[in-house]
Amino acid sequence: MADLLSTSISGLMAFQRALDTTSHNITNANTVGYSRQIAEFGTRNPQEAGNGWMGSGVDVNTIKRAYDDFLASQTRSASSSYNQFNTYATQAGRVSNLLGNTTTGLTASLQSFTNAFQAVADTPTSTPARQTLLSQAGTLMQRLQSYDQSLRSFDAQVNAQIRTEADSITSLARSIAKLNQEISGGYGRTGQPPNDLLDQRDRMIDELATHVSVNVVEQSDRSLNVFIGNGQPLVVGQTYGQIVATADAFDPTRTTLSFQTPGSTIDITRSLSGGTLGGMLDFRSQMLDPARSALGRVAAGLAEVVNEQHGAGMDLTGQLGGDFFTTGPARVLSHSANTGTGTITAQRIDGASGALTTSDYIMLNTASGWSLRRADTGATVPMTGTGVAGDPFIAEGIAIEVAPGAAVGDRFMIKPTAEAVSGMQVLITDPSRIAAAAPIRSGVGTGNTGTATISAGEVIDAGNAQLRSPVDITFTSATQYTISGDPTVYTYTPGSNIDVNGWRMQINGTPAAGDTFTMRDNVGGTGDNRNALKLASIMNEPVLNNGTASLSAAVGQFVGDIGVKTNQAQVSSAAQKVVFDESVDSLQSVSGVNLDEEAANLVRYQQAYMAAAQMIRVADTIFQSVLEATRG
Amino acid sequence: MRLSTQSYYNRSINAMLEQQSALSRIQNQVASGKKINSPADDPIAAVHIIELERSKQEYEQYDKNSALARGRLTLEEQSLADAGNALQRVRELILQASNTGTLSASDRESIAVELASRLQEIQDIGNRQDSNGEYLFAGFSTRTQPFAGVGSGVTYYGDQGARQLQVGPTQRVADSHSGFDVFMNISEGNGTFVTSAGATNTGSASIDVGSVRNPGTWVRDDYTLTFTSPTTWEITDSATPTANVVATGPYTSGGVIAFRGVQVTISGAVAAGDTFAIEGSGTENVFDTLQGVIDALRVPTGGGTATAQLNVALSGGLQQVDQAIDHFLGVRGEVGARLSALDTADAAREDLSIDRASTLSDLRDLDYAEALARMNQQMVALQAAQLSYSQISQLSLFDYLR
Repeated sequence: MADLLSTSISGLMAFQRALDTTSHNITNANTVGYSRQIAEFGTRNPQEAGNGWMGSGVDVNTIKRAYDDFLASQTRSASSSYNQFNTYATQAGRVSNLLGNTTTGLTASLQSFTNAFQAVADTPTSTPARQTLLSQAGTLMQRLQSYDQSLRSFDAQVNAQIRTEADSITSLARSIAKLNQEISGGYGRTGQPPNDLLDQRDRMIDELATHVSVNVVEQSDRSLNVFIGNGQPLVVGQTYGQIVATADAFDPTRTTLSFQTPGSTIDITRSLSGGTLGGMLDFRSQMLDPARSALGRVAAGLAEVVNEQHGAGMDLTGQLGGDFFTTGPARVLSHSANTGTGTITAQRIDGASGALTTSDYIMLNTASGWSLRRADTGATVPMTGTGVAGDPFIAEGIAIEVAPGAAVGDRFMIKPTAEAVSGMQVLITDPSRIAAAAPIRSGVGTGNTGTATISAGEVIDAGNAQLRSPVDITFTSATQYTISGDPTVYTYTPGSNIDVNGWRMQINGTPAAGDTFTMRDNVGGTGDNRNALKLASIMNEPVLNNGTASLSAAVGQFVGDIGVKTNQAQVSSAAQKVVFDESVDSLQSVSGVNLDEEAANLVRYQQAYMAAAQMIRVADTIFQSVLEATRG
Repeated sequence: MRLSTQSYYNRSINAMLEQQSALSRIQNQVASGKKINSPADDPIAAVHIIELERSKQEYEQYDKNSALARGRLTLEEQSLADAGNALQRVRELILQASNTGTLSASDRESIAVELASRLQEIQDIGNRQDSNGEYLFAGFSTRTQPFAGVGSGVTYYGDQGARQLQVGPTQRVADSHSGFDVFMNISEGNGTFVTSAGATNTGSASIDVGSVRNPGTWVRDDYTLTFTSPTTWEITDSATPTANVVATGPYTSGGVIAFRGVQVTISGAVAAGDTFAIEGSGTENVFDTLQGVIDALRVPTGGGTATAQLNVALSGGLQQVDQAIDHFLGVRGEVGARLSALDTADAAREDLSIDRASTLSDLRDLDYAEALARMNQQMVALQAAQLSYSQISQLSLFDYLR
């Protein structure tokens, strides 16, 4: 009867293991990353008897972990996507909220500035109206700068966040490598899976996947190799690579990520995606950079059109208007790996703000000459010109001059508008220097007998030295006229442009011989508002984006773009959350602990244990009955 | 599907959190009264709202501009009315002075004195300033006194500019007329020609202001009508060195002399060699007109020739004053047209404002009834989630293991 006893004991031992496992499951019901464990029973090897094979009880073959690699990798990739979109959406939401207020927003400031020009046009001699215009100009500038400042501080936060992410990723990699070592060692010693260590490692990899997308490959020794980016080996067996925050090769204030192994550092910023890190990088490249450039383009466009029109006017002191605004120049950054001594300079072309884009550019010196590419898309941008002073390269509203000495392969980044806002200033400080008037005025000779009229005249070249010189136009007959200081006799065409000394006017109607028309310096024309009216109206004229967008439309577009991007990110984030939640549920349905199930198992194993114990009693009884019988 | 206990709790709690955040969104909308609190809520509507708000702000400025233009035009209207009244009085005085037979030299002098004071009045009107101290009739040179000097020495120091104010996105209305347009650039004579008597005439005939019969055949020139004898006349043009004779005829006092589409009437006794000028009209300023009459009234009379000179001057002056009155009425008409343009522009802006306000409200303002209904629905859902969670989570097999 020794068999019966040992069989019963094997049952007791096995069910005790099973009960242990169940209690382990119950106690870890709320442990994140815990996979429920199952004691797998197997029959012991049977014993050969003459009449057949006798069973000899039960063994716990192994403690299995309820886990599904496929579902786990699906969950990780869903987690990477969700975290990426969620981070982007959260950050973008902050920018969106910043621009949300319509009454204190940029459009309102721009319109207040326009209205202030109108108010000056209403009463050009009023100092309070002029003073208001200057303060509105200041408000508009501050509004632009406060947005720019906010975008910069977002940028600084992204930089700080990227550094934190790099540290987190490296420290997770270290932990995973250490667990790899313990796990492969554990397997090697026992041939059995160290389930709780496996859970810990999977949890680390899950955690890593919330930071950045990962690829996981299992090795024969049960260690896991983890790859990120373009296949950079973050963890290989028991060794790990380091992700470090480095300075951008063009812009040292910008943080990028590099993969560091002894002896080499590779910039992997562009190849990283997914997770909170991917979300941050996307937010920086898809929202912050374009937003700052777009804001800069609005500022550059504003300054240019206002300056140009203001320069064509005359202020209260009788002088031509000076520049109204100044903006920060285009910025050129050289690549840290450049070997040549040559530099390049770039500037926005005056009068070409309509051609400006919101893109940054990379200027590359190739063996066959300089080539210009967009920094975001990499698309080649055609240039005209030769790049020397006097004939610079011209492309999309910027002029680039190249100084000799650059080596082949040298690269420069050109940011045409990113610094425009931060360098912005209002140059006019004296209210009387606001050029509300036009510098010239037309007149009809007092003795004219014809019925012809003259238009008010407009300035087409404020730089003409003779702009304000007096000019008389005298009709020698009803069809011909002469211009003072010019011997040519012109043929009169009603309504056609007469361009002299940088101004343009038209004569309409029927002149008579001897009629004169005059163009005079408008000095003393303090009540003239023509230039102020023009300044007010240019805000709504399409001056940007190759003549398709007005300044106010560009601002609207800027806000709209951010709204659309944020909205898309929020929608994607919500969608990814559903995918993520579902994959977590799927994985949990395999590996999660269900307390009711464990309660049932508890009952089941308890009963089995009690039955096995009962068998020992039976064995004892049988043995006793044999003893009784033999005692006689 | 097998459900882990952890999933069950997470799911229930996530669902409740989502319900709560939806509820908080609605609460935020209800509190702000706006459907859209960030451009991301509805980017297209947000951009639309920004544009509408901008347009509203823009139109508020047009309202101000319009009110200002209206004030200035009203002021100008008043000044023109005052000037018109002064000219009416001038007209009466000239008519009174035309009664040459009964007026003594002192009578004429007293008329001349009053005319001089009217001239000064009109000049003062021309120099009126608005509440900002800007001259109304100086064109762009609003800080320069436009009219200075005395009598025919009155000179215009302003310019021909007229300030325009923006009263709509594309509409501008001039808020003034220059002094040149109002006081200086008045058509001379009957608008086609002007007549005068030769200064050396010895006869006592006078010429009327004439009239145009056929504008098509009028050739503008400075013509001279010369009496070759007391009964015949000839009209010559201004050709040099030899003038061409344009017309000749016999003279009858009071008879019509017609040539080249115009006619004049000369009445009274003429002497051979008397001349009358019929010159193409240019422009004359109102001050010169008045000063001319005043000067004529102060020339001592006596003898037919002097009387004839005075008659010609007075009838010419009267016609010129009528021209000026018409001219002022014309300018007042333009002011009226501008005021009416302002009314039309105001009405158009008003219509647009109403339309804009309703669009803005549709886009941005919350429908409270709908929002509160949504909030109720959301609250019921949250309560249901809470209740079911608290009840279902109490179910456990362990309760039965005793």
